Amino acid sequence: MLKIIMPTMMLIPLTWLSKHNMIWINTTTYSMLISLISLMYLNQLPDNNLNLSPLFFVDSLSTPLLMLTTWLLPLMLMASQHHLSKETPTRKKLYITMLVMLQLLLIMTFTATELIMFYILFEATLMPTLIIITRWGNQTERLNAGLYFLFYTLVGSLPLLIALLWLQNNLGTLNLLVIQYWAQPLPNSWSNTLLWLACMMAFMVKMPLYGLHLWLPKAHVEAPIAGSMVLAAVLLKLGGYGMMRITVLLNPLTNHMAYPFMMLSLWGMIMTSSICLRQTDLKSLIAYSSVSHMALVIMAVLIQSPWSYAGATALMVAHGLTSSLLFCLANSNYERIHSRTMILARGLQMLLPLMATWWLLASLTNLALPPTINLVGELFVVMSSFSWSNITIILMGVNITITALYSLYMLITTQRGKLTHHIKNIKPSFTRENSLMILHLLPLLLLSLNPKIILGPIY
Amino acid sequence: MKVINLFTSSILVTLLMLTLPIMMASTTLYTNKLYPQYVKTTTSYAFMISLIPMMMFLYSGQDTMISNWHWITIQTMKLSLSFKLDYFSMIFVPVALFVTWSIMEFSMWYMHSDPYINRFFKYLLLFLITMMILVTANNMFQLFIGWEGVGIMSFLLIGWWYGRTDANTAALQAILYNRIGDVGFILAMAWFLTNLNTWDLQQIFMTNHKNLSIPLTGLLLAATGKSAQFGLHPWLPSAMEGPTPVSALLHSSTMVVAGVFLLIRFHPLMEHNKTMQTITLCLGAITTLFTAICALTQNDIKKIIAFSTSSQLGLMIVTIGINQPYLAFLHICTHAFFKAMLFMCSGSIIHSLNDEQDVRKMGGLFKALPFTTTSLIVGSLALTGMPFLTGFYSKDLIIETANTSYTNAWALLMTLVATSMTAAYSTRILFFALLGQPRFNPIITINESNPLLINSIKRLLFGSIFAGFLISYNITPTTTPQVTMPHYLKTMALTVTVLGFILALELNLTTQSLKFKYPSNLFKFSNMLGYFPTTIHRLMPKANLLMSQKSASTLLDMIWLEKILPKSVSHFQVKSSIIITSQKGLIKLYFLSFMLTLALSLLMLNFHE
Repeated sequence: MLKIIMPTMMLIPLTWLSKHNMIWINTTTYSMLISLISLMYLNQLPDNNLNLSPLFFVDSLSTPLLMLTTWLLPLMLMASQHHLSKETPTRKKLYITMLVMLQLLLIMTFTATELIMFYILFEATLMPTLIIITRWGNQTERLNAGLYFLFYTLVGSLPLLIALLWLQNNLGTLNLLVIQYWAQPLPNSWSNTLLWLACMMAFMVKMPLYGLHLWLPKAHVEAPIAGSMVLAAVLLKLGGYGMMRITVLLNPLTNHMAYPFMMLSLWGMIMTSSICLRQTDLKSLIAYSSVSHMALVIMAVLIQSPWSYAGATALMVAHGLTSSLLFCLANSNYERIHSRTMILARGLQMLLPLMATWWLLASLTNLALPPTINLVGELFVVMSSFSWSNITIILMGVNITITALYSLYMLITTQRGKLTHHIKNIKPSFTRENSLMILHLLPLLLLSLNPKIILGPIY
Repeated sequence: MKVINLFTSSILVTLLMLTLPIMMASTTLYTNKLYPQYVKTTTSYAFMISLIPMMMFLYSGQDTMISNWHWITIQTMKLSLSFKLDYFSMIFVPVALFVTWSIMEFSMWYMHSDPYINRFFKYLLLFLITMMILVTANNMFQLFIGWEGVGIMSFLLIGWWYGRTDANTAALQAILYNRIGDVGFILAMAWFLTNLNTWDLQQIFMTNHKNLSIPLTGLLLAATGKSAQFGLHPWLPSAMEGPTPVSALLHSSTMVVAGVFLLIRFHPLMEHNKTMQTITLCLGAITTLFTAICALTQNDIKKIIAFSTSSQLGLMIVTIGINQPYLAFLHICTHAFFKAMLFMCSGSIIHSLNDEQDVRKMGGLFKALPFTTTSLIVGSLALTGMPFLTGFYSKDLIIETANTSYTNAWALLMTLVATSMTAAYSTRILFFALLGQPRFNPIITINESNPLLINSIKRLLFGSIFAGFLISYNITPTTTPQVTMPHYLKTMALTVTVLGFILALELNLTTQSLKFKYPSNLFKFSNMLGYFPTTIHRLMPKANLLMSQKSASTLLDMIWLEKILPKSVSHFQVKSSIIITSQKGLIKLYFLSFMLTLALSLLMLNFHE
């Protein structure tokens, strides 16, 4: 594990010791190399895990997420160059340091063996994110957004700490590898219900579950581009990852505790999708689309069948790349139009045809066009929810339809139609931006060739 | 043994060949002016090569399956790339390639002034590839790839002129209706996975399951969406916003029949389920009648043909409803020729008349456009099922079989009325566009001498005359046709058609010079497309969007959720801190207390001891 952690730590001195004009190039290249190291962990047995040290392990659930994390850092660096072009070198370095810190913490979170260590790192990721949002966001509302982000997550996760302490006391260990064998079935009682809630709420807020999602659109909208990317791509997945890890402790209580949350996510995914239909703000639309997709993941995790776990893992990775791509595209619009309002940036296909291709591909992956991994994920979730209860197919079907609608609505509004006059003198798209989009799409397409590696532990 | 090898390899060559121009799109070839030419030639070669396996299939009649490249295994389910080369795919692939070849040649003429003609051809080819995937797929996942692929390509092609709002809404509308159908497809997939644990077609058909109503409903819904059956039909006429070659290729001959094709593919499941068959029959009958009624009063030439396509699709669904999938398939094949040609003829007229689509502003074209006129007449006659033209071989057979089967009399009656109306609206096109005096602007833009136009239409013209004979002569009838029947049943189809012709002609002649004062309610119903756009396209989206704005976004997200958690917490905190704190901002009181203590201490100091 040090193979990844040490180089990532060394990224910080690299940033500070680089010449001013080499900051971005050095860090991007170096982090790209780091992401290649993480690919090594793909080579493992499907039903086994690699114990790298007493503290860290990887299995086929954490590997895809680890890959996603390391893959995203160079992309974030590439995406934020324009945003920071007017800042002083020191501030740029500080910004990069924050991103690196975040990556470091995320890597350790995804590979932590101990639940309590997982918890500490999970909480620690809040700090760099908060700094990124509140320091480098674009508007004054960023402070409010940061507040929402911090308090929702904190209030949600504090009960988890108490629950973990209690579990440590009872089980004697919080080692993830051990507890799956030691976990006692939880009988149905008031205290156990509270335990279940304490364990799950932290992750439900993080996902976010509908009703607890208010922080997400605010944080996504106000964060600078790198913040939005990492929030959508990785931080939300912490919730799914945590839920999948902790449910082993909570059986068989999940079977009936899950109902309200499943109802809420079924209802919420339709609600949030229909909010997307009325969004005028591009980033907010993408954020709400994230909520809707994550509701599917919550569904899948709560159903707890092998198919649903496979679907949840695949959907998390697929959504990570897709939503990050969409945020990048939205940002490239923002850098030209200086507004997130969709109606101000219409008919861009005329001016930026290559960018229109990326928009098209991004929208198509967002609406889960076969054979992308988005479809693999969504299809598996729909399958498992269908076998859980046949009626859910109606709600799922409505959601599928609305997802297609808002994805293409977004595409049509931004790319199609007539050009408005005020955007006639915008900059052409840079090679940096185009390669950024390609680097998002490439893994999506390549993973479609072999989705097996992102289907999680059970297949 | 060698024969078999040639069979599979030549079909793979056909499929792989089509991908070549797509791959070449990343080279400088793509910027070349000859790219459309290359694409067209590739398609024609692919057609010729695909004739080899087709003829071998006709000769030997054996199904083959190619299975290679294992994609993924999830638990006990294996998914791999596999092609099913059976009766349906082997006949349909050459037909689709032939039609596409002609349409591509036609679009080289029709789209020649478009700056992005190369991209247009790339899209057409991509569509063709997804259609081939759909037709040859052997498992549901692969079928779904093709299924969604044609949907997306139709979105892109309908919205080709992306500067126009109408084109964009039509494209979005197509996706919306298709997506509703996809839900049915996914439902079927989910059911098959849960109950049969397989997506392979053979395995699905082998498993004997008692109650197949759920997946069949899903498949019917899928077909309803894709093939524009009643309820989900409005997207097809709207799709006419796209360029005419697109209408000719996607919305007449290939993509829209995908739904019917799906039902034909899954026919082994449907053949024992009487309830589903009745539902299918009724759905098809309603569609064919309703769209025929709508076609009667349209004035846009492309819209009339589009509604006639919808009506024919309804007829195909009727055929499936009377348990004759092979006849439905025959009609798919024959229909492709003349319907594509009708669209191309209308494209020729539209282009010649400077983008005029209204039949009322045409007239007298039989002198100005003799070749188009000929083709249009042949196409219309083939569509109505004139004996010994292509349409006759399938349509007449369908009506005959329906007549002699134990079927729902209402459905049969509706189908017959629709058949008669087919003749009526065809007459209307011919009457208004070709006969009488010219009613268009006297600017001379009329020109149909381009070989690209002539050759492409000519090829389909031959197809419309002979293809039905060739196809029905060469394939063995799989269901026993009724050998004897009373005269009145035998001539029923022809009689209603001729009746329709005569009636429409007489009506057109007599009412031509009458003033059209107050439209009757029936006319309004037909002209307003059964009030579908007003109700379904206005009220429902309005209600939905209003709901999402008012209740989902504003009420729930911005007010309630905000109030319940963050706002109430902060409110509570502020209030309680105000209550609990000892300092209330009462400056006077504080100063008073200061003064009191000061005075008191002074007094105390003064008076102590």
